Amino acid sequence: MSNLMSYDFEGEGESEDEDFNPTAEVGSDDEDAGKAANKPARRESFAEAPEEAVKEGPEDEDDQPKATASNGDRNRRQSDDRAEDEAKDETEGADGDANGEAEDEDEADKGDAEGEEDEEDEDDEDEEDAVRDRPRKRRKRDARLQFIDVEAEVDEEEDEELDEDDELVGDEPHPDDALELPAGAERDDRRHRELDRQRELEASMDAEKQAAALKERYGRNRVSASTSAVVPQRLLLPSVDDPTIWGVKVKPGKEREVVYSILKRWEDRINTREPIQICSAFEREKGMSGYVYIEARRQADVMPAIENIQHCYARTPPILVPIAEMPDLLRVRKSKQLQRGDYVRITRGHYAGDLALVEDVESNGIAVTLRVVPRLDYGANEDVNAEKNADTSKRKRPGVATKGKVRPPPRLFSEVEAKKKHSRYLSQISTLNRNEWKYYQDNYSDGFLIKEFKMNHLQTENVNPTLEEATRFSIAEDGVENLDLATLAATINASKSGAEYLPGDMVEIYDGEQQGVCGKAVSVHQDIVSLRVTEGDLTGQVIEAPVKSLRKKFRDGDHVKVIGGSKYRDEVGMVIRVRDDRVTLITDSTSQEITVFSKDLREASDSGGMVGDSKYDLYDLVQLDAATVACVVKVDRESLRVLTQDGSVRTLLPSNISAKLERRRHAVATDRDGSEIRHDDTVKEHGGEQKQGYVLHIHRTYLFVRNRQQAENAGVFVVRSSNVTTVAAKGGRVNNAGPDLTKMNPALQRNGGANAMPGQMAPPKTFGRDQFLGKNVTIRKGPYKGLLGIVKDATDDSARVELHSKNKIVTVKKDMLTVRDHNNNPIATGGFGSRRPGQFGATPSRVPSAYDGGRTPLPGSKTPMGDGGRTPMWNRSIAENPARTPMWARNAGREGGMTAYGGSQTAYGGQSGGASVWGGATATSGPPAPKPPPRLPRRLTHRPLRLQNPLYRPEQAPTPGAHGDMTPHHGAWSAPTPGGYDAPTPGFHAPTPGGPGNHPTPGSYGGGYGAGGQYATPAAAPTPGGYPETPGYYGAPETPAAPVGDEDPRYE
Amino acid sequence: MSQYPRNAMSNYAAPNQQRHLRACMVCSIVLLHSKFLQNGCPNCDSFLELAGSAENVAECTSQVYEGLIMMAQPQDSWVAKWQRIVNYVPGVYATKVVGQLPEYAIVGAENAGVKYIPRDGSELDDEGAV
Repeated sequence: MSNLMSYDFEGEGESEDEDFNPTAEVGSDDEDAGKAANKPARRESFAEAPEEAVKEGPEDEDDQPKATASNGDRNRRQSDDRAEDEAKDETEGADGDANGEAEDEDEADKGDAEGEEDEEDEDDEDEEDAVRDRPRKRRKRDARLQFIDVEAEVDEEEDEELDEDDELVGDEPHPDDALELPAGAERDDRRHRELDRQRELEASMDAEKQAAALKERYGRNRVSASTSAVVPQRLLLPSVDDPTIWGVKVKPGKEREVVYSILKRWEDRINTREPIQICSAFEREKGMSGYVYIEARRQADVMPAIENIQHCYARTPPILVPIAEMPDLLRVRKSKQLQRGDYVRITRGHYAGDLALVEDVESNGIAVTLRVVPRLDYGANEDVNAEKNADTSKRKRPGVATKGKVRPPPRLFSEVEAKKKHSRYLSQISTLNRNEWKYYQDNYSDGFLIKEFKMNHLQTENVNPTLEEATRFSIAEDGVENLDLATLAATINASKSGAEYLPGDMVEIYDGEQQGVCGKAVSVHQDIVSLRVTEGDLTGQVIEAPVKSLRKKFRDGDHVKVIGGSKYRDEVGMVIRVRDDRVTLITDSTSQEITVFSKDLREASDSGGMVGDSKYDLYDLVQLDAATVACVVKVDRESLRVLTQDGSVRTLLPSNISAKLERRRHAVATDRDGSEIRHDDTVKEHGGEQKQGYVLHIHRTYLFVRNRQQAENAGVFVVRSSNVTTVAAKGGRVNNAGPDLTKMNPALQRNGGANAMPGQMAPPKTFGRDQFLGKNVTIRKGPYKGLLGIVKDATDDSARVELHSKNKIVTVKKDMLTVRDHNNNPIATGGFGSRRPGQFGATPSRVPSAYDGGRTPLPGSKTPMGDGGRTPMWNRSIAENPARTPMWARNAGREGGMTAYGGSQTAYGGQSGGASVWGGATATSGPPAPKPPPRLPRRLTHRPLRLQNPLYRPEQAPTPGAHGDMTPHHGAWSAPTPGGYDAPTPGFHAPTPGGPGNHPTPGSYGGGYGAGGQYATPAAAPTPGGYPETPGYYGAPETPAAPVGDEDPRYE
Repeated sequence: MSQYPRNAMSNYAAPNQQRHLRACMVCSIVLLHSKFLQNGCPNCDSFLELAGSAENVAECTSQVYEGLIMMAQPQDSWVAKWQRIVNYVPGVYATKVVGQLPEYAIVGAENAGVKYIPRDGSELDDEGAV
């Protein structure tokens, strides 16, 4: 090659020299080449010297550096290869010429030569044209021919076999040349000399003539410039001299648009002052969605191309693609060649996502005919008004009509249904034995839609048909399933990867040279499995095999588990038969024989049944349609067996179930005796088989009952609730007890678990105007500690305090407040939760003092102190605190309360209308129990009050003190006479003992009013009634409130 | 660069037209069907003779192609080299064209001195074996 170099220098290509950079990689090949090149180089100088100078000479030089430059140093070897290939071609041509011109030793050649000359003479006439033509034609040829010729020649001599190889890769020798090759062309020395001579002759010969001859011989094939196409791609790998590629983020799915936008911009600016300087822009939607790649020399050229292109995120900087990865970007993978019987998935249109069976593949490979389970509604959802246009619009695009609507489920075509509405679109394609129809534009055969689809709308790989889908295609016209397991296997196995193999699996090679070798998998790398051979000559060796040729090996008696996508997944069983890759096993759980592919099996150490991955479990209550519910009685891999409410058993797919019904814990039904039935109660059928069982589900009047002794339907049967008697209620619930209404009482519920214990009283609640409102307070704790403010608003346990210091309202826990009087002296009151024990009512809960008795009726008890403070008080037994008894005993033992208020009893009884308000919610059959404190209706009563006074809090349980406060309010609020107040709503007046806000009958109201009159002060006023410190209350167990309560059930 | 004539017809295809695009199976250029019909393939019409023949267009071009390449400077571009479209006109090409060129067209191409290389990715497999 170095000679070549020197030749270049002699020649003219100074400018190209820079590119031409001889490096070490030139290698031994080039040694030969160099040697060989000696001659031509020398000869070339001859050729150049002559004055006639042969237009060919310079021309060749012209081409020469060009070629060298372009291939340059990047892929010398490649260019060498190529050059050699082409050179040979040319060499032989040259030989021919030379032989012709040089009437030399070879007699055989002489004749040829004469012929040649004749030709040339004829061609002379065309000389002018030829001259003009030649440069163009020649340029297309590789220009190094002149010396590489010889190089090739040497090659030829040295190794003919190699030569042949080369020929395989490159161009075939031209047939003309083959003819003209002199006999014994391999005999070299002479040939070399001969060549030299020919060269000289050539040089002296009329170049035009020669060119014409060459053109005549070779020109006709050089039409298109596709010589580069022959070079294998692996020789075209990118180098540092190639433009670089940048990846630009774009909106996924909009890659094509971006490419076209860039094209447009490039076209627009092409001949302007600032053209887009990129080499190319491309996208790979399939492999690299979300990117467009720009090929350019400089990064600066990329930006103008992508700036402000729609869907193009030009703000994120372009990512440089490493040279090594460039070919991968453009790699093209051949899509799978489809065959009849393959499964594919449709990716677009009406049938998107559906499985289809290939019926036929068009020869051009663009379209395939598929067999699809049609999704037709036969006009069921057709818009009647659109009917007029249906003809035209439907014919154009049948898919459009259904767009946006619910897609009908896949069902086989039924001509009966089609005839109903669309008989005019239906016609039979008359064939003898097959059931073929034409409906609209499509053909249906045996119920399947036979339609042509474009390849790019199909997914051909990783189709993974489920058995359910595949079986749809297996039903022949006679209704017999003929599922082609082999086809299915082919589809499924095709997608097989090494993931199914784990080290330790016993595998067998069933294909290829090493067929029959068995071993244990040692490691798995993608789709290559290394296995240690356990049998035969190779025992102990580790060999590698592609997954394609492997299958798992099992022996009879192996305990295996089904792992793969078969419907038997997770079954465990024992292998009883192995044939090829089909293994039959007998399952542990059902003792059935099942056959699965060995790839779906794995050696199992555990035994076990099905691990349901179904959404539905055994005994779930499910909704089938609006009117039907059912209980799951069997869960299979792909189906469910359910027992419906009317007692029938159905098998259906999970997809047919519209919803799972959560078990309603509080559902109640009544049995035939009128007593309540709840979940898990044991009931017995009345009459009939007298089946007995515990209640699984209650749905309306139907009970799903499970009997453990019964085998069928997993022990589940359905009865009407009116048809059973309760045998035992769960947890020994008293049978005829009405519903436990305390549980329904939100006020009681609110107080949490401890207080909700049966027999215990709920803590009293305050209501009315909060004691804190308008008070001067100081904050004792927290970030605002020490600040003085006024309470603007208060809830149960917190207050909003307007600070004096900052003009700001903060929310503070009430127990962090100390109330102050106008002189800023703290008012330590129990009511305000003062902690100081020395003071009157302070911390009543903590200090068992004489106050204890007083605590109850006092507003102090409703203080916003923490629960801890309140609890001990109200958890006291009733006996301990006689003062409480009359009031609170009524909550606990309501009957007692009622007797105490004989007068109210009637009111209560009269309340039944009101009771129905809440009692109606439960299916209780007894008379309305008198005990529950019907607070709900009572609250309603108070709503108007609340409207008037937003601070009023009915949900606070009353204490007598509070009521004392309230009374005047009542007077104030209920402007009409008490009687008028009562009259319209007896329900809410019902003076149930439990109700705090309860309004008394007019008579007791009067009493209440009287009592209230004693403390007829606003809540805020620190009157004795309002505040526990009032001495009058101490030691007087009958606190003023208590008597009031006695007379007035309000205090309940 | 610009051997791209100023008055050349634009190769731009608006998104709504893009479903009418087809790719030449020989040179992989992507054009609208109408353009193939009107002007033929700018690279291979000498032997494919697509212009005016809807049948030829249907047989020698394919609707199924992947990977658009907007080729601005084929002479400089490595992408062009890799795709073997160096000597073709600038325009939009596809990386992969699915479809089988009919036999007569292959012969025609060979006679015209164009080595037909399937552009559907099958070539790569052969090379992998080499």
